[in-house]
Amino acid sequence: MATKSEAINEANPEKWVELYSSMLFKHALPRVEDSFVAEDLVQETFLAALKGLEGFKGDSSEKTWLFSILKNKIVDHYRKKTRQQAVISMPDLRLMNDDWFNEDGSWAEEKIPHDWDSANNPAERKEIQKVIYWCKDHLKALQQSVFTLKYLEDISSDEICKVLNITPTNYWILIHRARLQMRECVEKMLLKN
Amino acid sequence: MMKYLMISCKDATMLTAKKEEGRLTFGEGVKLRLHSSMCSLCKKFEKQSHQIALESKEVVATDSELPEAAKKRMQEILKNYSSN
Repeated sequence: MATKSEAINEANPEKWVELYSSMLFKHALPRVEDSFVAEDLVQETFLAALKGLEGFKGDSSEKTWLFSILKNKIVDHYRKKTRQQAVISMPDLRLMNDDWFNEDGSWAEEKIPHDWDSANNPAERKEIQKVIYWCKDHLKALQQSVFTLKYLEDISSDEICKVLNITPTNYWILIHRARLQMRECVEKMLLKN
Repeated sequence: MMKYLMISCKDATMLTAKKEEGRLTFGEGVKLRLHSSMCSLCKKFEKQSHQIALESKEVVATDSELPEAAKKRMQEILKNYSSN
């Protein structure tokens, strides 16, 4: 039964912490460095929402609106972090040894994809999501940022380049390697069990 | 012509990333489809990468909780903001 506020998409700030703080936190945590940052971003989300209450037109649900604010806060966080870092001189990754492929571009023996089951039911999906979370945490800095923003937060590649201050070429190399690494890691973890 | 169209697995995996973003050129699309039709490994790679992409969006921290103390703190901060 839809509550009154769900039916007409009103905002009820008094209930925000009780209703949404936990789920906002659980969404933010895998996407940022640690729980302190995650907590901060949730708090900033609530404050921004309060400030911008006039702008909430009720054309989306309160929950959707808060999540979209959180998304912006996460992107802002990466933008700030990038600015505070020394300019990363990226090695030419194209020249780096591509462990996954032989000289002729064919799959290296030890790296070929094997069969693993599609996640068909909710339990299997939860499992693969857990594995992705773990594997993502084992990517290296910039690769992890690119993977997180693209796949966990669904940010466009153009915006990712701006936020992380990298060129499109860098982006493609990073995302390519991140995908190879992630798929390999996910496979190892799933086939282990 | 065929030689030009034959790409390596390494190139194919790079192109699947572009395909995900709808950024393949026509020529790249042709080359990728040709390669995928003949290479079960890359077909597998593409399918599995796609699955990872789908599931990544749903990743949440199931095993971590926002502490009650933090919630109380937030409640206070919001209350103070509203009353000012």
